[in-house]
Amino acid sequence: MRIVVAYKWTSDPEEATVRPDGTVDWSRAKPGISTYDPVAMELSRRLAEAAGAELIGVTAGGKGVGAPIASKAALGRGLDRVVIIEDDSLREAGRSELAAVLAEAVRHIGDVDLVITGDSSVDVAAKMVPTVLAGELGWPAVAEVTEVSGQAGALRVERAIPGGVQVLEISGPAVLAASADAAVPRVPGMKDLLAAGKKPVEFLELAALKVPVRSAVMTVTGRARPERKARKGQLIETTDPAAAAAELVTALREAGAL
Amino acid sequence: MDFELTDEQHLIRDAVREFADAEVAPIAGEIDRDHRFPYELVPKMAELNIMGMPYPEKFGGAGADYVSYIIAAEELARADATTSVILLAHSSLATFPVYRFGTDAQQEKYLHDMASGRRLGAFALTEPAAGTDAGAGTTTATLKGDEYVLNGSKIFITNAPFAEIYIVFAKTDPAQGTRGMSAFIVERDTPGFTVGEAEHKLGIRGSSTPPLYFADCRIPKDHLLGGEGDGFKIAMQTLDGGRIGIAAQAVGIAQAALDAGVAYAKERVQFGKPLATLQAIQWMIADMATAVDAARLLTYRAASRVDQGLPYGTEGAMAKLFASEAATRVADRAIQIHGGYGYTESYPVERNYRDAKITEIYEGTSEVQRMVIARSMLR
Repeated sequence: MRIVVAYKWTSDPEEATVRPDGTVDWSRAKPGISTYDPVAMELSRRLAEAAGAELIGVTAGGKGVGAPIASKAALGRGLDRVVIIEDDSLREAGRSELAAVLAEAVRHIGDVDLVITGDSSVDVAAKMVPTVLAGELGWPAVAEVTEVSGQAGALRVERAIPGGVQVLEISGPAVLAASADAAVPRVPGMKDLLAAGKKPVEFLELAALKVPVRSAVMTVTGRARPERKARKGQLIETTDPAAAAAELVTALREAGAL
Repeated sequence: MDFELTDEQHLIRDAVREFADAEVAPIAGEIDRDHRFPYELVPKMAELNIMGMPYPEKFGGAGADYVSYIIAAEELARADATTSVILLAHSSLATFPVYRFGTDAQQEKYLHDMASGRRLGAFALTEPAAGTDAGAGTTTATLKGDEYVLNGSKIFITNAPFAEIYIVFAKTDPAQGTRGMSAFIVERDTPGFTVGEAEHKLGIRGSSTPPLYFADCRIPKDHLLGGEGDGFKIAMQTLDGGRIGIAAQAVGIAQAALDAGVAYAKERVQFGKPLATLQAIQWMIADMATAVDAARLLTYRAASRVDQGLPYGTEGAMAKLFASEAATRVADRAIQIHGGYGYTESYPVERNYRDAKITEIYEGTSEVQRMVIARSMLR
């Protein structure tokens, strides 16, 4: 069995600062594996250990994703090897383009039975890559995955749904997006980290992958927060409980809440 | 000259910090309040190969460089000084003599278990009348047939209640002074060996440091480390490395106090604005940050010399002297920034202050470090 875990090497937004003009200063933000990807790695690792599978990391992005510390950070979390597409044209790539590149990398690896991703990236948080990647591969996509077990061609997947858990059986290859709290990632051991630099790292040239031009390109063009509802902030200032209750009831009636 | 850490050192810092934040920091206050030895952390650290980081894999260690080990000790101390000293006493003080001076048979029997963290170690040098004057110890070891018979007592022995292997120093020839001192491996359940009641201390309260008693305690002759009379040399060489560890512990405590001071200065509002906007506070933070950085650089420099196979006695003493006094000073300033709240248990800086003080005392007081440094300058 061959499992691919797709991960992102990016800067930690917690270490970024917002300038007075609203732009974000990333210069002091430390790069690292995107926050939820270690959860996907942990879920993949458990399955790989139980099934005796090979576990391969795949990442694509701009300059830096191929830095030795980036691959060592991923390999230190139990991956057998990593495949990296480092090309600065991918720095600002859309989700669909990135997913297409990852799909070609999965095809390049070959005989992949399962791809697992994190819930979303910590910097963009578009939650699109797993679905588009599955579409590119022609495989089913399952999000909010909390547990996966079984073997190639006979996977048992649990996913969180509103109010409970759904259990799926998948007979072929699939793309799973781990829910953000699917597993508590193991802290890498010292020996794992020291051995990480000795594991295989394969670099793929973006041009050589021959990623087909997409007929439809999906780009995040904007984001908005839900509007905050205005609150009245009405204070009932009395020490008499009965008077306070009466005043509260009156206020609620006036507001149409009762 | 390269001041940058290697990839592995960066990743080790991140991993130990992840462990410390998740497993150590949440119980640090309780460990201190209850004077509780957090033994449950030892197998967890062993699982991550932290307990024997600088020792080769063939002996059960992680095969890491010394700088990485020192970074791990620093990160643990940043969360909890007690947990850091449990590691340091085990790895730097108890495991090192077996690694450096043990016979093949002794290493076969003990080193793998110690470096892998399966069996905890302790280092027993100090006696009631022999602290800084370590050679004045009166514990004796008399050879009788195939056994040494130990008599005497030790005090302030870190890890003692939970250790299984003790490096004990005793006089095989009391008339020879320090040249009559020898080192021995003593196992926990040896008849005639008992562990006393733990001391109640100002800081590092979870680190249990009881006395040891030896009453006609018989140990096999082959538990002698090195040769007869090598004890003082073994103790001093062990403490040379141990001091770099205590410097790292001090750096971790100081960093914790600095972090707390910065956070409080940003959130605490007085006179209608955060404390951080006041120059009096800014200058304190600037001095604290500079002291922490200087202490860290001295400590890493000393550790780096261990990795390079260069002499490190003087550099280790400088690191410990500076880092320990910096830790006390930085923690003191952190309390000052917190004002009245800093004097209460509501904030961790009072613990940082109490924990920092011991780093000026154990494994050689600041005065001993000055003696070591001055001796090297004036020879």
